[in-house]
Amino acid sequence: MKIKVNKEAMIDCLQKIQSVINPRNALPVLSNVLMKAEAGKLELTATDMSLTVRATLDAEVLEAGTTTLPAKRIFGVFRELSVEEAEMDVSDQNVASIQAGSSYFRIHGISEADYPNLPEMADPKVYVVDQAAFRNMLKLTSYGASVDANRPLLNGVLLSFKAGKLSVVATDSRRLALAEHEVEFPADAELDLIVPLKTVEELVRTLGENGTLKILATPKQIAFEFDRILIVSKLVEGTYPNFRQVIPQANGERVAMERETLLTAVRRTSQLVIDAVSGVKLTFTKNRLEILATAPEIGEARETMDVKYKGPDIAISFNPAFLMDPLKALTTDEVYLDLMDDTSPGVLRSSISFVYVLMPIRVS
Amino acid sequence: MPAPARPPRVFLHVDMDAFYAAIEQRDHPEYRGKPVVVGAPPDQRGVVATASYEARTYGIHSAMPSREAGQRCPRAVFLPPDMPRYEMVSAQIFAVFDRYTPYVEGLSIDEAFLDVTGSQRLYGSGAEIARRIKADILAELALTCSVGVAPNKFLAKLGSEYAKPDGLTVLPFEKKAIVAFLRPLPVTRLWGVGKVTRQAFDRAALHTIGDVQDAPLALLQSVAGPHNAAHLRALAFGEDPRDIELDVREKTISREHTFLHDEKSRGALDQILFGLVEDVARRLRADGRLATGGRLKVRWKDFETFTRQRPFPRPTRIEDDLHALAEALFRDVVLEQPVRLIGFGVAGLTERDGARQLDLFDLPVESRSRKENLDRAVDRIRAAHGAGAIRRARNLPRRPPRG
Repeated sequence: MKIKVNKEAMIDCLQKIQSVINPRNALPVLSNVLMKAEAGKLELTATDMSLTVRATLDAEVLEAGTTTLPAKRIFGVFRELSVEEAEMDVSDQNVASIQAGSSYFRIHGISEADYPNLPEMADPKVYVVDQAAFRNMLKLTSYGASVDANRPLLNGVLLSFKAGKLSVVATDSRRLALAEHEVEFPADAELDLIVPLKTVEELVRTLGENGTLKILATPKQIAFEFDRILIVSKLVEGTYPNFRQVIPQANGERVAMERETLLTAVRRTSQLVIDAVSGVKLTFTKNRLEILATAPEIGEARETMDVKYKGPDIAISFNPAFLMDPLKALTTDEVYLDLMDDTSPGVLRSSISFVYVLMPIRVS
Repeated sequence: MPAPARPPRVFLHVDMDAFYAAIEQRDHPEYRGKPVVVGAPPDQRGVVATASYEARTYGIHSAMPSREAGQRCPRAVFLPPDMPRYEMVSAQIFAVFDRYTPYVEGLSIDEAFLDVTGSQRLYGSGAEIARRIKADILAELALTCSVGVAPNKFLAKLGSEYAKPDGLTVLPFEKKAIVAFLRPLPVTRLWGVGKVTRQAFDRAALHTIGDVQDAPLALLQSVAGPHNAAHLRALAFGEDPRDIELDVREKTISREHTFLHDEKSRGALDQILFGLVEDVARRLRADGRLATGGRLKVRWKDFETFTRQRPFPRPTRIEDDLHALAEALFRDVVLEQPVRLIGFGVAGLTERDGARQLDLFDLPVESRSRKENLDRAVDRIRAAHGAGAIRRARNLPRRPPRG
């Protein structure tokens, strides 16, 4: 294999794929990037066996071929190059010679025969979604997924294609984030897919702001095709909890608040929150919110802000991190919080189709 | 008016000499004077648990692969550990400690701290009490131990390590003398300085405890981190404020099962683990407290032991919660070799669940207490009709008994 490639294009692609590589993987070949040069294109692939990312760039292919080279090393080499173009010549023994300006590198690779094949996806369902909208839905929800290894189902983000819309859901059972978007797909493509968090993070990093995204799904695998990138991931197997059932139907009392002001106030008071069950106490009175954090023997923090509220006085405690997460992800100016009482979930909404259900901390 | 000077505290650290090997030599006269290694056999994978002093002259030490021990001393006597017997002897030793003070903190099967400050009026000075304990253990159990006598736990432990075996070391009680005593010792003698910290210390040219005494706090902070620095400096000056930790109430409840023949079938292990969890759950209910975390212990064929722990989503004593955690922990275990022992325990026992984060999918309060009532009803049936009277279906014997 012999190619000429552009330095920046190479770096851009390597950046998109190499975060997939698990530094503690068992097989040396999995530390490598699979490179396939053919017909004016260079295809770069990285995998951790569960998640595979492939990026394609233009290259001048002088001699087609395939090899695998150590990803980190190659990335480091290209990042340091002083000229715009490099020539790479890979021998049949998988030794790569890289010539660029005054620099020369020789790097030992491993035969592509040792590299795992991309999983086959037989008869997938296909969906087409707006890239920017999809990325935004992931950003609005994925922070809510659980990192508790006891609950593998909740370690993923749910993509539910039902009734003409895509619902993206993440929950750690203390809070639940839901974003919805209308998508066209045939009735026989109604599916619930649980995507591992690592895959979601990869998507958030690589998805662009323009164009569409093609999603292909089988019961065990999901693939995302956009721009010149292909992401293939295993799905989390199992049935996601019935999330609709935990979204309160009754509205309770509604408070309207400025998102930024609320975020800043919670962040400030959270300086005096010492553990995950202490929480901040929100007390709503007419058009007024007081946020209080108290830590025994350490001190207290208090913030007040104007809100739009006409209901009866109500006090409720939340984990400040859980309260801040959606406020950081949202971009709207105003948010609404619907409250029932101090042991029922609070429901945060914004003008877009987004719902966040948050369980309070019960103070005994 | 200055407060009257308090008399110094007096701590002992008692450490049995080559405990397992010494018991074997005591009970088998033919092994006396010979190199004895308790642990895995030399022709198998596994490690040395304890080496007798005769074996130590060949460079054999605990945690060394048995194979290497066998190469160093082919004529050594290799014996498998007999934990139940060692545990019995341990109980006898702790009974001796209990004669001299109620303040006993067991560190392991063969090692304890004793606070004898208040015992001195009855039994004489700390050194005298140490002599009496050594004499009692030798006369009644025919075993030797090494004892350190010092004004705190850290120094007492240094003392017991100072002269081994059968040693008795009284450390200075006077501030200046303590500092001078510590100066020439290597930094590794400081509590909490392991391999990693030691390498960092070496890079900073801190080799002796004296070097640490002289080092500016900023240097220590950069080497050991801000929290550890103050702690290590206090230790370097021989200060250790820690008190005896009394196990007035158990902090953990656990059960273990040692297999007669090492077990490698996951199904069989699951079954045993299930029974252990049931038993722990029953004892937890009897205790009345809630557990905040659970711990799985697996000892492999080669005696290597590992534990995995994880907190419960909320403090609990519900049997289903314990099973779920134990199963989740065990599911992640790769069965690399046959299992010799499996154990499960709960820890962080607490009286009440306090303020807590509510759960979206949580059972309502009523159904949680219904589950607890069910567990308790099962306990009552078992108490009245025997343990086998009522079981979970999955824990029934696989095949009906023949007959």
